[in-house]
Amino acid sequence: MTRFTMEEVGWEPRLPPVEAATATPGQVAALEACPPGQRGSAYFRTLVHDPASLAERGALFTKVMYAAKGLPRAERELATAVVSIVNGCVYCASVHARRYVELSKQDAVMHALLEHGIEVQGLDARQQAIVDYAAGLTRDPTATTAAGLAPLRAAGLGDLEILDLIHAVAMFANANRLMQALGRSVPPAEG
Amino acid sequence: MIAIPDLAEHLLGLDAASPLGRLRRQRAEILGHEEATYRALVLPEAPGGVSLAERAGLALRGALIERELPLAAHYRALLAATADAAVIAAAEAFPAPDGQDRLSVLFRYADRVTERPAECGQDDIDLLAALGLSPQDIVAVTQLVAFIPYQTRLLAGLRQLQQERAA
Repeated sequence: MTRFTMEEVGWEPRLPPVEAATATPGQVAALEACPPGQRGSAYFRTLVHDPASLAERGALFTKVMYAAKGLPRAERELATAVVSIVNGCVYCASVHARRYVELSKQDAVMHALLEHGIEVQGLDARQQAIVDYAAGLTRDPTATTAAGLAPLRAAGLGDLEILDLIHAVAMFANANRLMQALGRSVPPAEG
Repeated sequence: MIAIPDLAEHLLGLDAASPLGRLRRQRAEILGHEEATYRALVLPEAPGGVSLAERAGLALRGALIERELPLAAHYRALLAATADAAVIAAAEAFPAPDGQDRLSVLFRYADRVTERPAECGQDDIDLLAALGLSPQDIVAVTQLVAFIPYQTRLLAGLRQLQQERAA
């Protein structure tokens, strides 16, 4: 299970990204609405082939990951790293594993998840509840029942925190597929 | 086309003024962008090279694969309003046929992205391009297909919260 890593993983698009010199006014406007650190990336320049969906879906992503209050940001990153591991998106897992560790300082927890997968032992009750919920909703969403919320409640999650967790898991059902369909992860050794 | 303020709440029979409806409005921007993303992908004013009927068919397949039946019923109704009988029949045929015609290639792509995204490859994109889809069309199709799994998990999670409150 060592294909997941916290090192920088590259992403190589399967379509030529839009170049600044040939971008349409609609594409330029859609990129300018994206976070400054991301608008130059190959991923955003690939998505901007369809400006309307980049704009709305990009705004959704930003709110899901960064909206104030509710589920702590570190735990949104934990959930999205878990979803990315389950879906096999090496690129997404590396990015969100690093963000989780930056925010939580729980280096050992994330290394164990990447190395051993989501069945790993030794998580605290709250981490375990979030990992299990994220994996279950990712794998078989229609099999979930209200009983699946009980471990989250026992670990102290409130309504808004659970709603934020649902949004984060749903967002990466989407983000992983975009990354995996439109390009490929390039492991550090190849890069 | 159909006046639904919020697709998730429509499908769940959820009142905006209920406790769960009010909880969702603590994340009003997320609710708004969810709905706008859905409309931009499934009901765009300028559909470009991917017709509204094809979009409804792709969305229906995703919802069927995910076994999200109320969402599938919604897209089935949308498909019936936009497509001819051949597209309607093809959209519910599993597995998608092996042919190189447009609908077969589009539907095989949708099925792979939905079910086995880690198996996507350059060939999948090249096949779409060989059909004459522009890069914009390919990105739009991918965004649409990848958004159905979002909707499915949102609905499943909200349903859990609904059931928890009813218990």
